[in-house]
Amino acid sequence: MKVQVTNLRKEFGRTVAVDNISFAFDSGHVFGFVGPNGAGKTTTMRIISTIEEPTSGDVLLNGISVCEEPELARRAVGYVPDTLPAHGDITVHEYLDFYARAYGLRGKKRTQAIEAIEEFTNVTGIRDKHLKALSKGMKQRVSLGRALVYDPDVLVLDEPAAGLDPRARVELRELLLLLAERKKAILISSHILTELTEICNGVVIIERGTILETGTIDEVLKKSTPRRTVAVRLLDIHRHQHPLLLKELLQTPLVENARDVANEIHFELAGDEAAAGDVLGALIAKQFKVVEFRQTKANLEDIFMNVTKGGVQ
Amino acid sequence: MTATLARLKAHFINWREWELNPVVIKELRQSVRSWAVTGMLLLFLVVLFITSLVFLVNQTFEVTASERLGGDIFQAFIIILAGASIMFIPLHVGVRMASERQEGNTDLLYISTLSPTRVIRGKFFCGAYMTLLFFSACMPFMAFTNLLRGVDLPTVFFILLFLFVVVCAANQLAIFIACLPVSRPFKILFAIGGFFMSYWLIAEVIFGAISLMRSGIGSMMGERYFWLTTLTIGGVISAVGGLFFVLSVALISPPSANRALLPRIYITAFWLFGGLLVGCWAWQVKEPMMILVWTYASTVLLVASLVVTVSNHDNLSVRVRRTIPAHRLKRALAFVYFNGAAGGLIWVTVLVVLTFLGTVQFHTVATAYGGTRGYAPADFLPAFLEVYPPVLVYIFAYALTALFIQRKFMPRHSPKIAGIFTLLVAGLAAIGPNIVLFFLNRLSWKTLENLQLGNASNLFVIHEPGPRMAHLVFACGWLLLALILNAKWFVAQVKNFRPPPANLPPRLN
Repeated sequence: MKVQVTNLRKEFGRTVAVDNISFAFDSGHVFGFVGPNGAGKTTTMRIISTIEEPTSGDVLLNGISVCEEPELARRAVGYVPDTLPAHGDITVHEYLDFYARAYGLRGKKRTQAIEAIEEFTNVTGIRDKHLKALSKGMKQRVSLGRALVYDPDVLVLDEPAAGLDPRARVELRELLLLLAERKKAILISSHILTELTEICNGVVIIERGTILETGTIDEVLKKSTPRRTVAVRLLDIHRHQHPLLLKELLQTPLVENARDVANEIHFELAGDEAAAGDVLGALIAKQFKVVEFRQTKANLEDIFMNVTKGGVQ
Repeated sequence: MTATLARLKAHFINWREWELNPVVIKELRQSVRSWAVTGMLLLFLVVLFITSLVFLVNQTFEVTASERLGGDIFQAFIIILAGASIMFIPLHVGVRMASERQEGNTDLLYISTLSPTRVIRGKFFCGAYMTLLFFSACMPFMAFTNLLRGVDLPTVFFILLFLFVVVCAANQLAIFIACLPVSRPFKILFAIGGFFMSYWLIAEVIFGAISLMRSGIGSMMGERYFWLTTLTIGGVISAVGGLFFVLSVALISPPSANRALLPRIYITAFWLFGGLLVGCWAWQVKEPMMILVWTYASTVLLVASLVVTVSNHDNLSVRVRRTIPAHRLKRALAFVYFNGAAGGLIWVTVLVVLTFLGTVQFHTVATAYGGTRGYAPADFLPAFLEVYPPVLVYIFAYALTALFIQRKFMPRHSPKIAGIFTLLVAGLAAIGPNIVLFFLNRLSWKTLENLQLGNASNLFVIHEPGPRMAHLVFACGWLLLALILNAKWFVAQVKNFRPPPANLPPRLN
């Protein structure tokens, strides 16, 4: 299943929520959708899930247009919204049963599908509880179960980890990795970027309805942080050599912004790994007692802070 | 055709696998747990019980046994049942539908693959089952009245059936209002309007039920006229319910679907069969003027359709374009019935003209050959000819002016505002001159009867043929101008209405 978002634009009156964005992701991929509040993430996700109509542009799910054939496209997408309605008059099991029926599952097949989903999302113990009585984490599980009950190829999750405790987050992450293994194409938005880094293959960073960065995590990291940050630690008893080391580094070509950070010296290197090796070699040659020389990798959070300005429409 | 038959055959062969509409199951599950429904049902039963008790205790103080006690209690029960079912059930069904239609509600119906028809059908059946629940709760009390004399069993069942059909139609109307693409305050306004309208409906139903009870259905069942009237009334209520069903389905269908097709076909059939039915009745009872029931009902429906039609999008989705026939004649027919304002205008125009001609022709023929009975004024036709055409010409002029303003000056805005502009132009034409007169301190009841060219409502207060003719000439001039202004747009719409080029992707399913 290939999901192609092409020149998508959505206007609400004079406000442009999504402005001509394009990206694509595939089966087995978890794609992170990152942006500040009001960036247009939820609108885009609602369009992909056929809940909202775009003003222009389209989303193709294996060639099926969400604008032209929303009924067909809907069969392929499971949408997990950020909140689940709090019905006080329907139980978890009945809720899943309704969705299974609505998607045309009949008889034994339906019963089996619901049981499997209840087990997979670990809601078997609360199947007779009313939706209103569920905790946030449990609601997210039910919501995920609802989206999975008819086994869609694409999963769109809007802030699924918001408000979850650490254990629930870890469990959700494991569920998502399992789903990716089952060849689902997953688009997930979250503000907890460290988690996204751990589970995502790709990322889209969006602000004011416009894409700032998109690609695989490695590509984006490479593109956004052309300079690598290197940390050097000297033997404790040689810490007095820090000013000397700083001076030495500042004279080294390709090295910039060398500074003393706690017990280490950090500097930015405008070169590749070979250049880093050369710097290390030079330091050792000059008798500096280097006990640690490591490249600190930028994470999604750093990139997010670098590329976004926190603006909303 | 063969494929449809094969599908139908397979459907009936696998009858063991038939399942209830998922919406019905969900709604009923939720209803039985809802305090509103159970509370209302309990209250209803308590009121029925207390009412019967009051009647029976009163009877113990009477010296002689009342022969009409059953009838009196039945009347009271009908008032309670009509009140409870016409007010509460449509409100409950409508509110539930509206809450699910709310923007931002990702729940339930709109992220499943249930077709719009199944959703509306499910909601309708849920309302019908709830009505049955209330009726079955009332049934023992109703049957009890028969034992007390004063009402026969056929009357009890007939009135209950009649009331059931009315409540079902009211439920469908409530679903339609809930589906309207308007904001919550407007929906609340509609609900309040519907609530007050339900008083009128309840009064009518009670009045009809009591007169039926007094006549006694049992004694009328052998008469042909009784059955004809019953079938006509039942058919009309069902057809109106059907109209709201079709409109509700169109409202919740995706914009890329051919949303205009089903309502336009239904309204055409409704108009045609309605005309035939009223014509037959008018001929049968020798009342040619009865045709006006059809004329005015059709006109109201078609004028509402005109306002909706000018609000249609001009650009057809690829999905609709794929279904445009290549054959010229079929394409011409499709142009009239498919999505799009231009085709819709032709459709409304043809039906309005046929309504006018049909009324005049029927009245002439029925008066000449069918004979008349009762009130048949000689000047009916001249008066009709003086008022109906200019009013309709004005309405078309308003709509086309609004269409031109939206398409020419606000093409980036939703075409929906063309419909709003139509109402604004009509309102401005009606109120504008009077506002000017008010500020000139010359507004009086007398001045309202003066000629106000451009104001369609003015035609209803002036009675002389001269000013009416002036209105007709002015309205025709306005319409002609509007037609000229819209001609380029119309031609472009006709030219664009063709199947998509071959390089478009094939249909996916």
